[in-house]
Amino acid sequence: MTAFMLALLVGVLFGCGAYLIMLRGQIKLVLGLGLITHAVNLALFGTGPLTRGAPPIVPEEGATAAMASQFADPLPQALILTAIVISFGVTAFIVVLIYRRDALTGSDLAPGELATVINTADPFAGFDPRATLPEAADDYDILQYELDEVYNRPEAEVVYE
Amino acid sequence: MTLHPTVLALPVALPLIFGALGMLFQSARPPRRVRVQQAFTGIGLGANLVLALVLLIYALNGGRLAYQMGLWPAPFGISVYLDALTAIMLAMVGLLSVVIFPFALATIDAERARAGFFPMMLFLLMGANGAFITGDLFNLYVFYEVLLMSSFVMLTLGGTPSQINGGIRYVVLNLMGSMMLLLAAGITYGTLGTLNMAHIAVRMGQAPYLVQAVIAGLLLIAFGAKAATFPLFFWLPSSYHTPHPVVTAIFSGVLTKVGMYSMFRTFPLFFPWLLNDWQPMLMTVAGLTMVIGVLGAFAQPTIRRLLSFHIISQIGYMVMGLAVAMTPSAFGVGFGLALAILFLMHNQLVKTALLLGGGAVELEMGTGKLNELGGLVKQMPVQATLFLVAAFSLAGFPPTSGFIGKLGLLEVTFSAGQWVIAAVSIVVSLLTTMSMIRLWQYVFWGKPHRAQPLQHGRTPHQATLMTTAPVAILVALSLLIGVAAQPALDMVQVAANQAIDRAGYVQVVNPELTATDLKSLQTPPATSAVQTGADSGG
Repeated sequence: MTAFMLALLVGVLFGCGAYLIMLRGQIKLVLGLGLITHAVNLALFGTGPLTRGAPPIVPEEGATAAMASQFADPLPQALILTAIVISFGVTAFIVVLIYRRDALTGSDLAPGELATVINTADPFAGFDPRATLPEAADDYDILQYELDEVYNRPEAEVVYE
Repeated sequence: MTLHPTVLALPVALPLIFGALGMLFQSARPPRRVRVQQAFTGIGLGANLVLALVLLIYALNGGRLAYQMGLWPAPFGISVYLDALTAIMLAMVGLLSVVIFPFALATIDAERARAGFFPMMLFLLMGANGAFITGDLFNLYVFYEVLLMSSFVMLTLGGTPSQINGGIRYVVLNLMGSMMLLLAAGITYGTLGTLNMAHIAVRMGQAPYLVQAVIAGLLLIAFGAKAATFPLFFWLPSSYHTPHPVVTAIFSGVLTKVGMYSMFRTFPLFFPWLLNDWQPMLMTVAGLTMVIGVLGAFAQPTIRRLLSFHIISQIGYMVMGLAVAMTPSAFGVGFGLALAILFLMHNQLVKTALLLGGGAVELEMGTGKLNELGGLVKQMPVQATLFLVAAFSLAGFPPTSGFIGKLGLLEVTFSAGQWVIAAVSIVVSLLTTMSMIRLWQYVFWGKPHRAQPLQHGRTPHQATLMTTAPVAILVALSLLIGVAAQPALDMVQVAANQAIDRAGYVQVVNPELTATDLKSLQTPPATSAVQTGADSGG
């Protein structure tokens, strides 16, 4: 039962994390990554036998090889500890990147997301994306604008002779 | 020649020591401290190359080494392992970083240098070396993270909006790949009770098929994400064109190739039979990687965007070689793997040469956009020639290394009876040729587009010996492999034979195993029925 609950929890965390990553918005991205790393850490935890109340402390006298199977396995916890440290470092780096992007561009959007925002009239976009476009811009203009944005070329189109 | 096994600590320790020494001189103050960092990096890279070459000579003479870190016995501690495949990769990455170093010295600007570019080169090398020599699945994950953290920093050094955008995509998708690797390590420990690769190889045969399939699938996803194979390559073209050209060149030579190496190491060792069982899937992945990579390259408007799609396309050839590695053919089992290793070496040389050459153009002209370049053949005749040779090597023209690699891969896939993938790879080669000619024509041929090349307020980088010599060395090595093909083939044949020799690996790492354990690891010999049929075709 414990193992089943753990598996269910890992699945739910993974699903929520994946959903959050696919949403627009950078804070959701960070939260989603956090949930996924938690899910993987819990899955690692579940790889040892889920023994209750038997810490792996060997008594000084009378230790036998047969006792080894009765203790909780300490190795998954050591693995999790390493994984937590690493994912903490990576998450901190992503937070800095997102903060940096916000400071540089003043928007929460990645290139390529603008058309979706305009077309779905997202009330949480935080700014009016139409303000950056000419009057009566159609979908093609928006796409072109985004491509230019990607290639840092505001005025010309890419033409090959 | 005998080597003490402790020497296997050095590929990780050397870059770490020199990188840490360099970091001591990290400071906002220019430029004397940066000089010290550069000196440490130069010494570190040079020492690493010497070490790697010694190990390569040792390994090519048939030597294999294993060392138990901290002298904990094999399944409990962390083992490190050296054979010809490991030594080839160590030597290639060591060589590339030494060759790139003068280019970096000449072109890295003061701001990036002050932010710690040069020590980061060493940390990247440390992560790559560690991933090559480790014999422990969890340790592999840790070294991947070391490699990735340094690559994150190098990718975003400079901090322009496009770099940050590319950086976020790169970090997120690579973190997902690492999570899959971690999950694979966890499931391996939970089901097989061990993380030592030799021990996993012994126990994998007795595990139920479902367990094998789950572990293999997760490893395939994890390494596929690192190596940029078909459904998982999106991080590469959206980030590789953003950083400084030197960084792109280093990445193309090291990062994706570490992912490929891990596949070469783990699949023949853990589950060689799955390479045959899953051959249709691997072939599909290989074919789609090739086709989508090369088609994507046609649509790209800048030098580095185009070249980064070609990186993906070439990865497909290596997966193709791996997929036929355990299939009996006229050349014996494992020849596909040998060719895949040769192709990997070729690709490291040529791709780095192209990206350095393209990067030199980009730095000198201040732009990498194809429609703003043109007519550079008069201005940079040496670079234009080198770029053309490298481009033809990528496409697979004789007498370059690309010809040997592609011909060999074609022969081995034909004799394994995989006609479809062979046809796809020929078509992709043709498309690669067209794409490279298009690139060369736009950049070097025709009339110059602007009298005054510089824009964006960048400082001009004159093409000098420091930027041309690295490209020339790499192109010369590619030609050398093409001309002296037999020694190169012998070398990769040794590597492939050792990589598929599971009993040998286990015996070196864990000598206390019983004879029955080792017998279960013997790889089946090639059947003679296929041999007679395929000989006439060659």
